[in-house]
Amino acid sequence: MATEVVPDRVNTRLPGGFNLPPFGVHQILALIIVCIALWAVGVLWLGMQTAGQWVGSWQDDIHIHVYLDTQREDNVEQLEQELAAIPQVASVKLISQQEAARWMQEWLTGGGLQQDELAKRLPITFELSLKDERSQFLFADIRDTAKHFGGKVNEDEVNLAQVHDLLTQAGLLAWFASLILAIAMALIISNTLRMTLLARADEIHLMRLLGAKEWFVRTPFILEGMVLGAGAGVSAWLLLWPVKLAVGDWLSTMQVDLNIWILLLPLLFGGAIVGALGALIATAHVVSSEASA
Amino acid sequence: MQQLMLRYPTGKTALSGLTLDILQGQFVYLVGESGAGKSSLLKMLYGGVRPSSGLLMAQQIDMRQASESRIRDIRRRTGIIFQDHKLLFARTVFENVALPLRVQGWKTERLIPRVRKVLQYVGLEDRLWSYPEALSGGEQQRVAIARAMTANPAVILADEPTGNLDVETARRVLDYLMDLNKQGTTVIMATHDLHLLKSHPGRVVQLHAGSLAGDYSGY
Repeated sequence: MATEVVPDRVNTRLPGGFNLPPFGVHQILALIIVCIALWAVGVLWLGMQTAGQWVGSWQDDIHIHVYLDTQREDNVEQLEQELAAIPQVASVKLISQQEAARWMQEWLTGGGLQQDELAKRLPITFELSLKDERSQFLFADIRDTAKHFGGKVNEDEVNLAQVHDLLTQAGLLAWFASLILAIAMALIISNTLRMTLLARADEIHLMRLLGAKEWFVRTPFILEGMVLGAGAGVSAWLLLWPVKLAVGDWLSTMQVDLNIWILLLPLLFGGAIVGALGALIATAHVVSSEASA
Repeated sequence: MQQLMLRYPTGKTALSGLTLDILQGQFVYLVGESGAGKSSLLKMLYGGVRPSSGLLMAQQIDMRQASESRIRDIRRRTGIIFQDHKLLFARTVFENVALPLRVQGWKTERLIPRVRKVLQYVGLEDRLWSYPEALSGGEQQRVAIARAMTANPAVILADEPTGNLDVETARRVLDYLMDLNKQGTTVIMATHDLHLLKSHPGRVVQLHAGSLAGDYSGY
């Protein structure tokens, strides 16, 4: 019926309810700014993904190796007991030289070494499983115990264990930064919608005078905020692909394969939630005051 | 309304001890000098401001105690015409007139014939898709009347609807309001144009400094 009477070029834009207000230059600017902020959040979490993959299996199962020279073979039993007595050490496994040599040969894919000859040259090795690698004095205790019996700790492994610790802290910082950026984005969207609200104050006032319910007046702005945030989220996600293309080859040398798809839904819904939050802030105090003389 | 009083937060007393009954179907002129309380009374009748004391029953609702939802109900049953029209200039005549129905949840398909019909009534059916700025002052006021009557309200409140119009256009506006009144709509109109009362008689309520100064029926 509507198509019979509405001229072709006329677009009925009835205000209120589920009808979106028209997009203007303010909205486009807000979309760009929020897109940049969401892109920064995306890059941050891609960085976390890279670091997580780089540390790799260490994240789940951290082992520290302690070496003891074969000339100090008498200390083996005592060192094993002392290492096992450290509270944060879950277990201590003595690895035979033959086993270590076999593992090294596999790792070096032959390397032209004689396994028996190699085994004679290798130190006695203890593999320590840890209960809590974040414990403050754990590595100092292991180091002191090993030193006391003439042994040495694999410091590269200690460094990696501490990288894991740093990674956990970086993860917390990433959440914190994301939260701060989310608040900033919500305020940017809120400010933009506030300008729209001011520009349309007469319309809002009139709708209220005609008996419109509050949800009817506010829904278009909340929808606009959500669309703005979601649009910025998808745009930010699309802009992550050039980042992957730029650094993908370099990262693959570190056994890191970035998964951009995993960020699509968080950026889309995160953007929409932030947009809705901004709209709620903007529309929280839309007062059509008449109570003045 | 009984012993109605309105004091604004600024301290100004707009109405003081007003007692008045307006029955369904009446045509009432509110007259008086500027600041007499005409606009304040109209505002109270659609819930724009609440009485400070006294009793005001509008369409069987106590306006002093009414909830926001009740106020919304009243507004949906009331057509309001403002002196400055309060038309939305960024929207077409159709969108302006359709707004009260849109607020009440009408679908676009139903809106168009209804809006066309009320615009036909005020002689503006060919301006459906025009913007208000393309219309003359009289035409804009007719759009405002069309908007006020589009939802078939029980009451029309008009705050100096002829204030900015020439005599002939003002008479035409009054013709429309009188016609609506004959169809059963209560019309309460604040005005300074006393000359209109001769050609369009009705009950005249005179206010002075927020109080009732006179009540003349069939003026």
